Amino acid sequence: MSTDGHEHADGPRGPADGGLEIEGRGELCGAQRFSHEAMATVFEVHAVHPDERYAAQAAQAAFDLVDRLEGELSRFRPNSDIARVNCLTAGGSTRVGPSAMECLVIARHMFDLTGGAFDVAIGTGLPSLELDPDDCFVRATTDWVRIDLGGIGKGYAVDLMAELLEEWGIEKALVHGGFSSVLALEAPAGLDGWPLTLSDPGSPSRVFAHLSVRQMALGASGLRKGDHIVDPRTGEPARGRRAAWVAIPRPDTARLEARSEGRPRVAAAAVADALTTAFMLMSLEEIEALCAQTPGLQAWALPEPEHDRQEQATLLHIGGSGPGYTSTSW
Amino acid sequence: MAGENEKGKETPKAGAAGPRKLGRREVLTGLSTVPALGLFGYAWNRQRQYQQAKAEAAAAPAEAPKDLQVINVALLGAGAQGQVLTDAMLRIPGLRFRAVCDIWAEYNQKRVVNSLAKFKHEVRGYENYREMLDKEKDLDAVVIATPDFWHAQHAIDCLKAGKHVYCEKEMSNTLEGARSMVAAARETGKLLQIGHQRRSNPRYLHCYEKLLREAKLLGRIVTVSGQWNRALAPDLGAPARYAIPDARLTQYGFKDMHQFRNWRWFKGKGGGPIVDLGSHQIDIYSWFLGANPTGVMASGGLLYLDPATHEWYDTVMAVYDFETPMGKVKASYQTQTHNGSQGYFENFMGDQGTLLLSESEVYGARLYRDPNAPAWDTWVQKGYVSAPKIQEMKEKTEGVTDVRESVSPDEHKVSIVLRDPYHQPHLQNFFNAVRGKAKLNCPPEVAYESAVAVLKVNEAIEAGSRLSFKPEDFRI
Repeated sequence: MSTDGHEHADGPRGPADGGLEIEGRGELCGAQRFSHEAMATVFEVHAVHPDERYAAQAAQAAFDLVDRLEGELSRFRPNSDIARVNCLTAGGSTRVGPSAMECLVIARHMFDLTGGAFDVAIGTGLPSLELDPDDCFVRATTDWVRIDLGGIGKGYAVDLMAELLEEWGIEKALVHGGFSSVLALEAPAGLDGWPLTLSDPGSPSRVFAHLSVRQMALGASGLRKGDHIVDPRTGEPARGRRAAWVAIPRPDTARLEARSEGRPRVAAAAVADALTTAFMLMSLEEIEALCAQTPGLQAWALPEPEHDRQEQATLLHIGGSGPGYTSTSW
Repeated sequence: MAGENEKGKETPKAGAAGPRKLGRREVLTGLSTVPALGLFGYAWNRQRQYQQAKAEAAAAPAEAPKDLQVINVALLGAGAQGQVLTDAMLRIPGLRFRAVCDIWAEYNQKRVVNSLAKFKHEVRGYENYREMLDKEKDLDAVVIATPDFWHAQHAIDCLKAGKHVYCEKEMSNTLEGARSMVAAARETGKLLQIGHQRRSNPRYLHCYEKLLREAKLLGRIVTVSGQWNRALAPDLGAPARYAIPDARLTQYGFKDMHQFRNWRWFKGKGGGPIVDLGSHQIDIYSWFLGANPTGVMASGGLLYLDPATHEWYDTVMAVYDFETPMGKVKASYQTQTHNGSQGYFENFMGDQGTLLLSESEVYGARLYRDPNAPAWDTWVQKGYVSAPKIQEMKEKTEGVTDVRESVSPDEHKVSIVLRDPYHQPHLQNFFNAVRGKAKLNCPPEVAYESAVAVLKVNEAIEAGSRLSFKPEDFRI
């Protein structure tokens, strides 16, 4: 498939729009694949387990969880927590559920970390929202904050789905939401990691890199030609990059044995989701600064070719090579 | 995806007291001075934000006004529905959770105890509900979300222990069970609300009270249709590590883990989809028509799912007869669990208009006026329905108008939006009644009428013929 200058975004994002995929579409790994539509994309669970029926039931439990989250987090559901937050006027407050609160807390942290490039309020004043995580209350101090968790919600759902699969004893699995948010748990037997490819969203046959990943969260963002995204720091449409990818190792504290009720959730896929969105806008220096202070964090960026020429864009790789990373020349 | 401001919402104008856009220099400065919080720094950063927020905020509104009587609540049944109810209750001011009872101590009970602890409710967990009733001294109300075949026993014992009860629908899987619940509520004088939550849904209340009773927008309702189509899904399973020992399953009436998780499909436990799903909507039929049915015929079968693991019908089509003050009505209902086409809705069809509604906030309620009906202008002006969205006129072919094609009626909407979780209004109604500030929207006598109508369907399928109701069937 070649990119022609006349493609325009005209529908919901399809899978692999960010240029991230399982090599061979997972069939080579002997995994079962389960799919479910939610959050305007297709979620999938790829699981390796001797009992197919049990795996199907586990996947369904994970999909029921995604549906519940969508009901709480989507600004398009009139009675979701976020829709209710978006109705607040100055001085108003509302209680939200733990998932919405957790997403808002992570989102606020990522806002600070990325200098506002990741902003779920898209420039309408995220810092003016007061978050009270202990009581699960959100308080508005202005009239016009509008939250859209689109840049972090899928990643958060993927984190929770992975936790659920681990509870069910399904450890060899990969979960993703539209391939824009991916979490690899343990790899299928005989493999060091789940085989993923990074490719040009405009021409998927052009593979930039082969990754072999386990216990890793990845994010992928891509823009179709002609699309713009709003830079929350300026409020203006920005050209952005063609694509950005992020990989974060999943910390040990996220795994089932280490999890405990008292400890806050380590949501690697949510963080990766947020960073990918931010990295579409942040300068290379800013991305390098963040990678430098965060060992293990890797990023790839594909710039938009200058002046719409059909030249091949050069993939940039930032951050240390993580385990299991091999590149092809580009 | 790129965010966009919703239509009609004002965006802050430059110079107005609004969010200040960070300049590029500030961004870079910000980045360089941000301490090495790390990607997961939000976990310990949280405490800092919270302190700041508390310090900066004006006197925060109290969670509940000082004169709001606090109600002590226990949850009996912490499965999927119990968790849905708990989520809703956590947003209702003035409730204090005391206990959670569920036989699945390892999983669901623990999960709900922990999630309540996050909200500072110090709850005790129980496996046995009688032990809970004995030990909990400060308990005002119990919310019951156990399987249908346990409802009667649980509700009666809680009422007799002096507690007000909110019990999930279906009231009971048997009429005897349902009758005994009505009797216990009467004897004890305690409140019993049955969980037909649409009875407290603001949009449903508006449609019933304003559009049907007051404005009579549909004219004479002659036919009703409704459905709940649900897509195929595997049977419910459970994480292997949390399997319940056989002895405990048997003690509480379950054959095995599969039956424990999928009780709705088994005779003597639940009534299958027509009861799980249909009971909500068939209740709306009686409510909106202001009458109980006079008869029902139904056809159903286990067309798709495995008979080895399912006993009830996965496909049901039923037709009810009603006699209302305005005349006779026929109402059809369908449910199936292998295809989710059109989801769930109720459709009331009258000689002056049509009302299509669904509990789904995304769908809402839509009304269509018959072109020959009197104008709805008064009601539009009163805000009962929106101004019509004009549908496209069909183009006439060359000089010939096909008289069989009618003009699509204009669509009116109901602009009542529920901003809270679906079950919250009905729970709020219950707790307001406990405080003496409201009447129950679904007391046991009303729910009993619904149970009579709904439980008859499985009987009618079995009988293969139309079954009649007598008025006395609905009264206790």
